[in-house]
Amino acid sequence: MSDGHDHDLLAAEYVLGALEGDERREAERRLASDPVFARSVAAWQQRLTPLASYAPPTSPPDDLWQRIEARIAPAAAADILPLRRRIRFWQATTAGALAIAASLAAFIVLRQPTPARIAVLSPLAGGAPVLMAEAETGGRLLVRPTTAIAVPTDKDLELWALPQGETRPRSLGVLPPSGRQLTAQLTPNTQLLVSLEPKGGSPTGQPTGPVLYGGWLTAVELPRG
Amino acid sequence: MSATAQISIADDTQALVHRCAGGDQAAFRLLYDRWGSRLYGIALRITRQAVLAADATQEAFVQIWQQAHRFDPDRGSAEAWLIGIVRYRALDIVRRQAREVPGYEPADRADDAPDALTRLVSTAEGAALHRCMDQLEEDRRRLVVMAFVDGLSHSELAQRLNVPLGTVKSWIRRSLMSLRECLAS
Repeated sequence: MSDGHDHDLLAAEYVLGALEGDERREAERRLASDPVFARSVAAWQQRLTPLASYAPPTSPPDDLWQRIEARIAPAAAADILPLRRRIRFWQATTAGALAIAASLAAFIVLRQPTPARIAVLSPLAGGAPVLMAEAETGGRLLVRPTTAIAVPTDKDLELWALPQGETRPRSLGVLPPSGRQLTAQLTPNTQLLVSLEPKGGSPTGQPTGPVLYGGWLTAVELPRG
Repeated sequence: MSATAQISIADDTQALVHRCAGGDQAAFRLLYDRWGSRLYGIALRITRQAVLAADATQEAFVQIWQQAHRFDPDRGSAEAWLIGIVRYRALDIVRRQAREVPGYEPADRADDAPDALTRLVSTAEGAALHRCMDQLEEDRRRLVVMAFVDGLSHSELAQRLNVPLGTVKSWIRRSLMSLRECLAS
């Protein structure tokens, strides 16, 4: 890019969608940090949006609304009681994540639908587990704290999925400290991460704050017999 | 027709976004009913796969719900805000994974499809953009449409048109400069 490159044109190229790699990341970084650039982006978005009408409206899949609703709705009340029991059970078992996972598997075999995978999210710097996630075969993901989590009032936690081998995590949305139920299709060998973000979540679509907790989704081996 | 029927869809969309910011789930459902197929169609054109388009549309609506309070009507219309969100989510998906359909070619001359043109010129802004797009050479115009509508990156455009990357970048910049000038006049 030449020195004289017009910043307004970078905004235009960003809105056009043609940027990739470092140029795209640079535009995203500036969008988050430079109000003048952000105004340019908004103005170009306004100018070019009529082009979107070239794409014909198409009926989305029938279950799309249910998927969206599951992401924004508070956890169904029915899940709360067994969950508390699970968390208490969890908290009583402090012999380390593996022991917990094994015991948890024995416990959750009793309920339907069975979680396909669980993740234990611990501070990346080391320490006791903070969150527990259960992924069910249908795509439902339950994320619950195992201990009280304090979040500054001007910040939100955001949950991310990072499949093995990929470098850019996908946002699963803001995570209230009380936990959340959502729908997400996660590939095997996915790491769940939680970062600290501005209120409302990352403005860039990628983590902007420190990644606080993480853990791998692991298949639950159900006891036989 | 009552006076309320005169409220334009644009104003209505803005009102719905504001209600979403206040946590109004009924407004969110209305927004989905009104915009679901439009946003899904945009995502489908970029991702070209129903599964990916559904993912992008889902992520977009979740973001719309979570960030509705950030929508600022002084910066642009609610329509542009909604469309921007779904486009970036769809672009995230296609930029993250290598295109799974190598050699895919978007429908030729899609910008000449009569119904697309009708939709484009149905608003004052669209008509102005159409007038300015008309001033570009046809090749350059198609480049702009393929980038915005089909989500092709600089390097994908270069590959498709079989011209050097630097040439594509410079054509696009000149086209954008020309559009900026034309739309300001």
